[in-house]
Amino acid sequence: MTITIALPSKGRMKDDASAIFERAGLKIVAVGNERSYRGRIEGLDDVEIAFLSASEISREIGSGSIDFGVTGEDLIREGLSEADARVEFCARLGFGHADVVVAVPEIWLDVDTMADLGDVAADFRARHGRRLAIATKYWRLTQQFFSAQHGIQLYRIVESLGATEGAPASGSADIIVDITSTGSTLKANHLKILSDGVMLKSEACLVRARKAEHEGDPLVARIIEAARRALG
Amino acid sequence: MPLINLPAFAADLLADFERLGTLRVDTPVIQPAEPFLDMAGEDLRRRIFMTESETGKSLCLRPEFTIPVCLRHIETATGTPQRYSYLGEIFRQRREGANEFYQAGIEDLGEADVASADARAIGDAIAILTARLPGRKLNVTLGDQSVFEAVVAACGLPAGWQKRLIHAFGNSAQIDALLTRLSSPQPVTGLSPEIEALLASGDDATLIAHLDETMEATGYSTNASRSPKEIAARLKEKRALEKTALDGRTLAVLREFLSLNMPLADAPAALFQFAKKSGLTLDGALSRFDARVAALGNAGVDTKRLTYRAAFGRPLDYYTGLVFEIVIEGSSAVLAGGGRFDRLMTLLGARERIPAVGFALWLDRMEQALAQPEGEAAE
Repeated sequence: MTITIALPSKGRMKDDASAIFERAGLKIVAVGNERSYRGRIEGLDDVEIAFLSASEISREIGSGSIDFGVTGEDLIREGLSEADARVEFCARLGFGHADVVVAVPEIWLDVDTMADLGDVAADFRARHGRRLAIATKYWRLTQQFFSAQHGIQLYRIVESLGATEGAPASGSADIIVDITSTGSTLKANHLKILSDGVMLKSEACLVRARKAEHEGDPLVARIIEAARRALG
Repeated sequence: MPLINLPAFAADLLADFERLGTLRVDTPVIQPAEPFLDMAGEDLRRRIFMTESETGKSLCLRPEFTIPVCLRHIETATGTPQRYSYLGEIFRQRREGANEFYQAGIEDLGEADVASADARAIGDAIAILTARLPGRKLNVTLGDQSVFEAVVAACGLPAGWQKRLIHAFGNSAQIDALLTRLSSPQPVTGLSPEIEALLASGDDATLIAHLDETMEATGYSTNASRSPKEIAARLKEKRALEKTALDGRTLAVLREFLSLNMPLADAPAALFQFAKKSGLTLDGALSRFDARVAALGNAGVDTKRLTYRAAFGRPLDYYTGLVFEIVIEGSSAVLAGGGRFDRLMTLLGARERIPAVGFALWLDRMEQALAQPEGEAAE
């Protein structure tokens, strides 16, 4: 059986992922030229490497069309329902750190916690004639965090695919849910993270699609083992 | 369009609705999604089938009938009181099982005699289920948010806490967490010395002006979202409450109320006793509660066989009073669910307040119950 591993196709994520694989004794070589989107692992004929965008990797791992992938935990948990049942997080790779957070305008001096936000959301319609608007690209994570964990139902999501931090100042939303690594963009936009508003501490992970045929496959076990050893 | 997958008892149900003097209405299967998301919240998005029109308008397959029936009432400017009935398919996303179901029900809009309208809704639901599911023992549970609202008001809790508690009503995990949190003081920290000084001075106008200036300076509009005035008011409220905690006695009173669970026939006396023992004045809420129990008796419903559970509610902000649901004894499948939603019509755009009560029947669950031999609970 051929095992397909998808790796990020560009940027720091690509370099960091390749470095980990190399340290694990799984040296990746491009098939054809340097810019090729396919590769293989030296000495392992049954492994194919596919270079995809990080969000494609999350989708493909969900559909099971690839066996392993390296991508951010946030993209997996946002992209797939019941992620833990469909995907095994084999190893946390120690790069691509980013927190998914709830951030509100700094000037909301009375709002420090999700409970405060719940109060504001409950009253919002009566005061402003509309629901509290949250700009985010993380629909699923937001719903889980707000509804299931904090019992906050009364808000509306405004889809935002870029420059989310600017939404509150521009008036297109009241608050945001977004990723941050250093917090400097939030600060520049006069936003603050709620004290209990970190929804997910994400980083790049080696993930495996849970497939029956992986059961007892020595190659699958070897890849997981090698990655974990490289990190240890 | 002939619907050959209708439950066999659908014709009888329609006859029941006609006998009850309701006006049968239909609503389009494809509905604007906005009103559903606005009323029920974003959580609904995962559970409905959404699509977009060519012009970018969000549409969905009808996930329930109450909102479409109410919208239709507003659009057609029909007078009140008016009782509508419906029977048709609804669509919900589920991980397992079917995604389309038949639902039928009655919406009673604009009846000013609230007690009688409540009693009629419960009585009609029981009568229909009894007629369609002969020999099955029905368990009816009833709750009333307005009694809880009266209890928290009578406890003299700060307005902000009352709102939080009422908002969490119906969700036992959330209300437990909230009671625990309110039992310890919540200090307000992290304010700059300047803001602290303004708060301490009690000079609201200067505090508001300061917030206003800061917003202007940081590029935030002062009227697109929360205003300086709103922020200052809530900050002051938090500061005033930061040393306060829910006292043990009030906590015990609230917990005792939420644990009340008894035959409805006994509830008026039990609530009276509870109020007396706790020293709470609940007169208005209790007399409305008693009027409903009396109206149920007048409608021929045996209130000894109904259960009142004080903590039973729906955490949606348009439910205002009565909620009820009906199951077959020994089963958890809700066959009928209903309640009073006096706030919904104005939220949907009605010019005047229209009191409303209604219930929905789950026809697929009724069919499953019929398929079980009598006396055995379906699961």
